[in-house]
Amino acid sequence: MTNALSEDQVSERLLAFIRERFLSGDPRGELEDSTPLLEWGILNSLNTAILIGYIREEFGTFVALEKVDAATFRSVATISSMLCETAAEPNA
Amino acid sequence: MSLHELVIESAARDPEALAVTGPGGDLRYGELDRRANALAAELAGRGVSPGDRVVIWTSKSAAAVVAMQAVLRLGAAYVPASAATPAGRMAAMARDCGAAAICAAAELVPLIPDDLPASVRRVDLTEFLAAAHPESAPADHQVTTGELAYILYTSGSTGTPKGVCISHGNARAFVDWAAAELAATPADRFASHAPFTFDLSVLDLYAAFAAGAAVCLIPADLAYAPRRLVEFVHQQRISVWYSVPSALILMMRDGGLLDQAAPAALRAVLFAGEPFPIRYVRWLSDWTRARLLNLYGPTETNVCTFHEVGPADLARDRPAPIGKPCSGDRAWAVRPGGGVARSGEEGELLVDGPTVMRGYWGRRPQAGPYATGDIIRVLPDGSYDYVGRNDHMVKVRGHRVELGEVESVLNAHADVAEAVALTVGEGLDTRLVTVVAPSPGRDPGVLALKRHSAQRLPTYMIPDEIRFAAELPRTASGKIDHLALAADVARDDAAATAPEEKTP
Repeated sequence: MTNALSEDQVSERLLAFIRERFLSGDPRGELEDSTPLLEWGILNSLNTAILIGYIREEFGTFVALEKVDAATFRSVATISSMLCETAAEPNA
Repeated sequence: MSLHELVIESAARDPEALAVTGPGGDLRYGELDRRANALAAELAGRGVSPGDRVVIWTSKSAAAVVAMQAVLRLGAAYVPASAATPAGRMAAMARDCGAAAICAAAELVPLIPDDLPASVRRVDLTEFLAAAHPESAPADHQVTTGELAYILYTSGSTGTPKGVCISHGNARAFVDWAAAELAATPADRFASHAPFTFDLSVLDLYAAFAAGAAVCLIPADLAYAPRRLVEFVHQQRISVWYSVPSALILMMRDGGLLDQAAPAALRAVLFAGEPFPIRYVRWLSDWTRARLLNLYGPTETNVCTFHEVGPADLARDRPAPIGKPCSGDRAWAVRPGGGVARSGEEGELLVDGPTVMRGYWGRRPQAGPYATGDIIRVLPDGSYDYVGRNDHMVKVRGHRVELGEVESVLNAHADVAEAVALTVGEGLDTRLVTVVAPSPGRDPGVLALKRHSAQRLPTYMIPDEIRFAAELPRTASGKIDHLALAADVARDDAAATAPEEKTP
C-alpha cells in the first residue's frame, strides 16, 4: 500500500519499472527521478497506460482520470508525489 | 471562395452559436470573428502582409484557432506547430518557409531561438488575447483559389521535414465535400482529436465552421487517454468523430467505449491514416447506428477517396476498402509495368484534381497528378483496397514517419556510427525501433539518444525503443539488410514474451 511506503521508495519502484520496460534496462543508469518523461518520449501516449496499470497492481492505487495529465506525469518525482498525496486523502 | 469566409459567414448568420469549446474556454462565432479581426490588425501592424507565412506555436486551444483565422484573413498562410514541437524544429520550419512572424503561447515565447532573425516578429498570443482590444475593422483579404492557406510539415525521407503547401482552393474542395457528405448542420458537435499539425484536423475545424457547428477540441495530453476520450464523447455529446483507427481501438480496448450504449447524438464516425482491422469495425458497427466512413488521402492531397462501411465490408476478412474518388478528384492506379490497373490488378495510386497540393515549400510546384506511393488493388466495382507502401514510409498510430528522417537524426549524434529505424508489431501495437551501432570507443546511453531525438523530432517520431548492436547486418552488396534486422528484432521480442524455460 502506498501509505506504507515513503515517496523515495515509491520513486525507486517506478524507476525500476520504467528502466526495465521502456529503456531496455537503462544500462548507463541515466534515468533519474527528475528526468522529463514525456518531453523526451520515454512515456508516450500508449505506454502511459501500461505504467498506470503497473501503479494499480503494485501500489493498489487507482489513478483518478483527472490526474492523468502532462503535469503529473512529467517525471518520476511528480508521479510519486501525486501517488503519496492520493494515499493521504481519507477517501482514496 | 476562401477558407476564412466560413467563419465570417457563420458569424454573420448566428454570432451567438458556439464555434469552439476546449482548453482556454468557449468561443461563440461572434467572439471568434471579433478576436480574429483584432489579432489580424495586430499582425498587420507588425508587418504581416498578404502572401506571408506565420508560424503558430501553441497547444491545441481556442487561441490557436483565433490565430489561424487571423492569419488567413490577412491573405497570409499559417504554419501550425504543436506545443510539443521542439524549439529547434519549429525554428527550422520558420526558416524554411521564411516566416514573417511566430505567434506563440506565453510559455513558449522565451524558447524561440535567438538566432532567428529579428525580422521574424514574435507575438505573445496568450498576452494578446488576455488583453482588451477596441473593435477592429473586419479583415477579409480577397484571395484567389491558388493562394496558400496553410503549410503542414511532414516527415521527409532525407532527414528534412517537407512543407506541404495547401491553397484556399485545395482546402475548400475537401471541406465543401466533407460538409456536404456529412450534411453538417449548426446542431452538430465535431470532435477534434488530431493535432492541428495533422491534416485530419482540417475536417474537424472547417466542416464545423462551414455549417456553423461547434468543434470540441481534445487537448494533446488526452488524445490517447482511453477512458477520458470515452467520457469526452458522452459529455460533449459528439455527433461527428474523426480520428486515426488507433485512437478508436484504444477506446474500445482500454476505455470501455462499448460498455455503455452509444450516445444518441453520435451520427458519424470517420477514420483515416492507417488500415483499421475489420474486427474492430464490426464491434463499432454492432455498438452504434452512426455512419462509418473510411477516408483516404496523404497530406499532399487531403482526402481524395472514401468509402462508407456496409454489411458486405464487415463480412470480408480485411480492412474496409478506401473506396472511390471524392472532393472532385480523379484517382487511378498505374501497374508496375505501366498502364492503368483494371479490376483485380494492383498499382500505385495517382491523384489529380482540386485537392492536390501546390507543391512542397521551396521546391518545384506540383505539376500534374500526385503519385501517392501507396499500392492499391482495383475491386470489381471500381473502388480500391489499400495494399501497402512502395517505400520506407511507415505509419505509427496514424502518423506518417519516414524511417530515413529518424535515422538521419540519430546518425547526427557523435556517439552513433550508424542507425537503422524500423517498425515492429501491427496496428495499435506498432513500435518504432532503432538499432544503433555506436561509434568506435563510444558507449551512448538510451536516454541520451532519446533526449537527442526529442530535441529534433516531433513526439510521435521519437523511437519507442533503442537497441544497440556492435555491427549491423549487411546484404551481399554492402547495404544494410533491413529484412534481417527486422527478423532479429522480432525474434528477440518473441524470446522476451515466451514462457521461461530452464535447461536441465
